[in-house]
Amino acid sequence: MPSLSRRQFAAALAASAAAAPFLTTGRAEAATVAAGEVIDRIKKNIGVEWKPDSVDGIKAGDASTGIAGIVTTSMATLAVLQQAVKAGANLVVTAQPTFYARTEAPAQRSPGLDPVLAAKQQFVANNKLVIFRLSDHWRQRRPDPLVQGFASTLGWARYQSASEANQFQVPDSTLDALADTLKRRLALRGGMRIVGNKALAVRRVGFLPGTTPVQASLRLLPSVDAIVAGEVREWESVEYVRDKAFSGEKKGLILLGRVVSEEPGMSACADWLKTFITEVPVRHIPAGDPYWRPAS
Amino acid sequence: MKAGEIVDRIKQHLASPWRETTYRDTFKSGGPDTDVTGIATTCFVTMDVVQRASAAGLNMIVPHEDTFWNDRDDTAVVSGDPLYQIKTDLLKKHNIVIFRMHDHMHSERPDWTYVGSARAIGLDSKYETAPNSHRFVIPETTLGALAASVKKNSGATSLRVVGNPESKVSRIQLGVGYATPPVAGAEIDVVISGEQQETDGMFDSPEYVLDAATLGIPKGWIMLGHTVSEEAGMLEMARWIKGFVPEIPVELVKGGEPFWPPR
Repeated sequence: MPSLSRRQFAAALAASAAAAPFLTTGRAEAATVAAGEVIDRIKKNIGVEWKPDSVDGIKAGDASTGIAGIVTTSMATLAVLQQAVKAGANLVVTAQPTFYARTEAPAQRSPGLDPVLAAKQQFVANNKLVIFRLSDHWRQRRPDPLVQGFASTLGWARYQSASEANQFQVPDSTLDALADTLKRRLALRGGMRIVGNKALAVRRVGFLPGTTPVQASLRLLPSVDAIVAGEVREWESVEYVRDKAFSGEKKGLILLGRVVSEEPGMSACADWLKTFITEVPVRHIPAGDPYWRPAS
Repeated sequence: MKAGEIVDRIKQHLASPWRETTYRDTFKSGGPDTDVTGIATTCFVTMDVVQRASAAGLNMIVPHEDTFWNDRDDTAVVSGDPLYQIKTDLLKKHNIVIFRMHDHMHSERPDWTYVGSARAIGLDSKYETAPNSHRFVIPETTLGALAASVKKNSGATSLRVVGNPESKVSRIQLGVGYATPPVAGAEIDVVISGEQQETDGMFDSPEYVLDAATLGIPKGWIMLGHTVSEEAGMLEMARWIKGFVPEIPVELVKGGEPFWPPR
């Protein structure tokens, strides 16, 4: 195996199912690109001006690290990092923070005193992982890759509006049935919550990934029957849609959860990275729905 | 009786002085000169609550939260929306006066939002480690059993839980509304609260709890939803106001949980 040529390695990788791990024995040959080079290509290809004052950038590890494989994910939980290592990848591209805060590792928490933070930092160091956050710039790309990924994951590309990419004209459904479809196709557990009449007829659906203020709901709702959002503030969009439905307007709101709403976008990110990173394998590992709900 | 007289009595009966700088605790509809026939307390002034309060003869509403779908009740944010006109028309039609009680409710001791939430989820006050600590040590249970009990007691259909259901837990830190304490503290097994952003905060508890579960460290996070978390305490608010406004009826009018869960 160590003597596999690049082409053989690629063929072997292609032959392995998406769920199968990378061929770790091919790791030495595959480590032909530094993390910094991958990041430079990301900046070159992203199509929007790279701003230094964003949340994006390296959150752990070193730009000089040789990369054997890349994993994209909505949130780099320890479980995702373990799967990435098992698959032979050591660069993780994530949409969310990794160390529990926008600032990464909240200042008030000393790693020595916090066993969870310490264990995660240790795991990252032991496995020479590089963690790169790609969020602010990713969502500025057009067409919006979070919307494109959502459409692709749901098989909704054919329903997508030509002029408003985050609006979809889906086959006749109800709010209840649409929620059920989304729950199954996005593999959700207990994070989903719905506002509005269950029997509401739904044809026009608008998507607001991530976290959005009431202004976004106010803009979108007139054009659609239901909004599918990641996360909103309950004192804003939730109460707005509750009043809207009570006043007799045929409108609904489905909340997926922030992390899962950005997961299809990170799946699309893996596909995008493959277009300019050909030296090493790239794959998407979903963080999964953080939530569950008691059955009774 | 004028609304201004009722607000004056509220200010007099608070333990701490009124802070005029509050943008939250102000009139949102009507004003001091509105004649009041009865008072409804609630979490959010939903249009449903307005209709039911009015039908019960209550035209003053004292909510804990905002009326016009943003915390500052900044009408510039919503005035271009047709629903704003519909809602203000409904308020005018029923001669509704709204005075919010948020900041001054949270600064009282006890803060009734915590008292009400603990009662709603079945957390017995005898387990609170010190008055107003919001920290409860209950007989050891599992996160799964605790969450099931919280759901049953509160009736919340759409609560959300993070963590391993098998984790043994006993130390609970109670938060309310959007004031959700971080779950990372060494003396905390489970945080139960209303609402919190999932990521990009000062301490993102969902990710922390997931990682703790991976490491076998027992942690749990139970999010009730904002209304389920804070509405119960508006019963205490109604009783308190009734104590110094005996002339007219004062009642809790519940908005209830806005959500339903998928199949």
